[in-house]
Amino acid sequence: MDFEVTYTEEQQRFRREVRAWLEANVAPSMLRTPTSAEDNYRRYLELRDLGRKLGAKGWLYPTAPAKYGGGGLDVDHAIILEEEVDRFDLSLPPYYDSGGRLGSASILVWGTEEQRQAFLPPIYCGEVRTWQLLTEPGAGSDLAGVRMTTAVRDGDGYVIRGQKIFVGSDNGTDRIWMIVNTDPKGKRHENLSWFMIDASLPGITMQPMELMGTGGEGGTDSGVKQTVFFDDVRVPAFALVGGENKGWTVATTHLELEHGGGGRIGRNRVWDRLLRYCQETKRDGVPLSQQQDVRDSLADIYIKTEVQRLFGLRNFYLTYARKPKSYEGPQLSYYRKTTGLWMTGAILEAVGPAALTTDPAWGAPSGFLETQQRNGIVSVHPGGTTDIQRVQMARRIGIGRSTREKAGTVHGAE
Amino acid sequence: MDLSLTESQEMLRTTARSFMQRETPVDVVVGLQKAESSLERDLWAKAARLGWLGIVLPAEYGGSGDSLSDAAVLYEELGRGPLPGPFFSSGVLGALTVLEAGTDEQRRRILPGVATGETVLTVAITEPNTSWGPGGITLAPQGRNGSFVLNGTKLFVSDATSATDLIVAVRTGDGPTDVSLLHVDAKARGVSTRRLPGFLSWQCEVSFDNVQVPATSLLGEAQRGWAALSRALERAIPILCAYIVGGCQAVYEKSVLYTQTRVQFGVPIGRFQRVQDHVVRLVNHLDSARWATWEALWKLDTGRPATASVHMAKAVASEAYLDVCNAAHEVHAGMGVLIEYGLPAHTQMSRTLFHYLGDPRWHKRRMADALEW
Repeated sequence: MDFEVTYTEEQQRFRREVRAWLEANVAPSMLRTPTSAEDNYRRYLELRDLGRKLGAKGWLYPTAPAKYGGGGLDVDHAIILEEEVDRFDLSLPPYYDSGGRLGSASILVWGTEEQRQAFLPPIYCGEVRTWQLLTEPGAGSDLAGVRMTTAVRDGDGYVIRGQKIFVGSDNGTDRIWMIVNTDPKGKRHENLSWFMIDASLPGITMQPMELMGTGGEGGTDSGVKQTVFFDDVRVPAFALVGGENKGWTVATTHLELEHGGGGRIGRNRVWDRLLRYCQETKRDGVPLSQQQDVRDSLADIYIKTEVQRLFGLRNFYLTYARKPKSYEGPQLSYYRKTTGLWMTGAILEAVGPAALTTDPAWGAPSGFLETQQRNGIVSVHPGGTTDIQRVQMARRIGIGRSTREKAGTVHGAE
Repeated sequence: MDLSLTESQEMLRTTARSFMQRETPVDVVVGLQKAESSLERDLWAKAARLGWLGIVLPAEYGGSGDSLSDAAVLYEELGRGPLPGPFFSSGVLGALTVLEAGTDEQRRRILPGVATGETVLTVAITEPNTSWGPGGITLAPQGRNGSFVLNGTKLFVSDATSATDLIVAVRTGDGPTDVSLLHVDAKARGVSTRRLPGFLSWQCEVSFDNVQVPATSLLGEAQRGWAALSRALERAIPILCAYIVGGCQAVYEKSVLYTQTRVQFGVPIGRFQRVQDHVVRLVNHLDSARWATWEALWKLDTGRPATASVHMAKAVASEAYLDVCNAAHEVHAGMGVLIEYGLPAHTQMSRTLFHYLGDPRWHKRRMADALEW
């Protein structure tokens, strides 16, 4: 086995090129914690601008096919890019783009050639930001139960009506990747369809939800969510991806990636900063990291983050080496979610109430632990609850149902 | 990056698995459980012929010179039994300790016999204080006429009742790591070994009553024993972890099969989400132990700093095996505690290996030290 990518001279040169480029193009101010709503929006625009620059180089979606505007790079180069971007505490894309990541992957597998040519380049180049819209008031964990939001065929297009919740992040979106009901009388799993539409169409309105989480543009997670209303929104038939009432098939690709099937190779940002904080902060004259009880807590936290890293690495490898997967995607998701939740208690115990305040004088620096205290809880639900991940695992292990369930198709999607 | 086994590792796994299926089905493993000695002559001879007893030894000492990862593939299969016998005690920890501590003459004298199976080693480290650090080694030999005299007790020594030779860690100075290693004939006058009774697998008491040990029995140099033993442990522990991973894998497979075939309330019990939760807990532990172990092995085989990873692997694997068995007992209920079913052999082994060579908390603390927090 080999747990590390062996870099050729060419790849090492690529790393130097990427690092130099990032140092020239990522302003330290992009990493700031916004001080106001206006500042949050300004920061978002800076990150979008960075996204377009990355997109122009093919680095925004490095492994996406070049003929649709992606980087066309191999996995090793993509790892280098991810690692280098990670050094700046950013991800690819550097803003919340869930519909871009998961929608583009689904379109690659299930879209027509014309749809790929139309929808993919703007995503891969960073011209558009896309949110995914799945959950409705009556359909959360039971995604197949989507029924409130419908699309009805009308001439050369469809009319969408309904409501989606827990959507996106802050600062609005350009595109929407959504699943709707196209046959209210149809059988379960045979009545859904996916649309990729423009977010500025008449009849779409958004309203922020007030949630316990914080952080508007976290890259993969966001603490801010919207309710989106569709009031007879006319969309072209071309926006329908994967065929009418074929939405559940498309969803297997989307959900496999959302449930951790693609894997991850980044470091754990909370851990690095937590350790540094414990080394620099004294209690009774002794650094927290030198106190045995805190050290024991830190060891438990570290091991969880390491196991999570190993699961992410394994899934990354299985995906890109095109090896068969079964329960590994939802396992990573389950482990990540339960670890984050557990860590809220473990960190609170290790650090004390400084973990709870954003106060510049008395809180852990820039409130990063306070963010974890909130988002470790909030993250339990997006992309499927911990319980849904367990249900998925059981089906794929082959005990939940009479026939063993297969993992979703992601090949062709990376 | 490549997280798959090599072709030769796949072959070794196939060979080992079919050997285990043929030679040590559940009834054989269960039948061995009550034996005073863990060593079964016929199995031992066959394993020796397959080259398994010298798998970590270089060719010049009679071994096959395989990597630690190769050895781990084998031990994962042995752990599925869990196969009793001094395989790890002699063929891994004993062999590596002699390799790290011994002079070249001592290695040439001792190790070829380990590879053929004629010599059966075990390393005696801890004592009634049950510490796995150098501070726990208090047994101090008295010097007499250029030789040593041992009086005292070593405890929780694995497979001592089947050993021909003991490597005994003794205190030879006041400094924290002033430890030396003695090579002692297990049949020497005054040595007695006894399997400890109870819920543990072949952990033994070794008593020394005026045992005369010649000066030539000192492995390598005096006071260098702890350093050598630490190096040996760092390489041996991940292989023990692989044995644990094999145990977890077998318990997982047993549990999955049981949930698919045991029918209650008219359906296989795997349909119940409460039961599924036990299986999910099981597979999460199994994979945690597996990948922590394999990363440590990879680091060791490629010469990377591995100390923290090895400590982590032992902590994760020990906790995993214990709770994997707990979860399996929740899945199996009454059937699981039936001795002949085979799960209790794993459960007992999981408790034994939880503490053997250091429990999770001990290894986590050493891990934190190695990471220089």
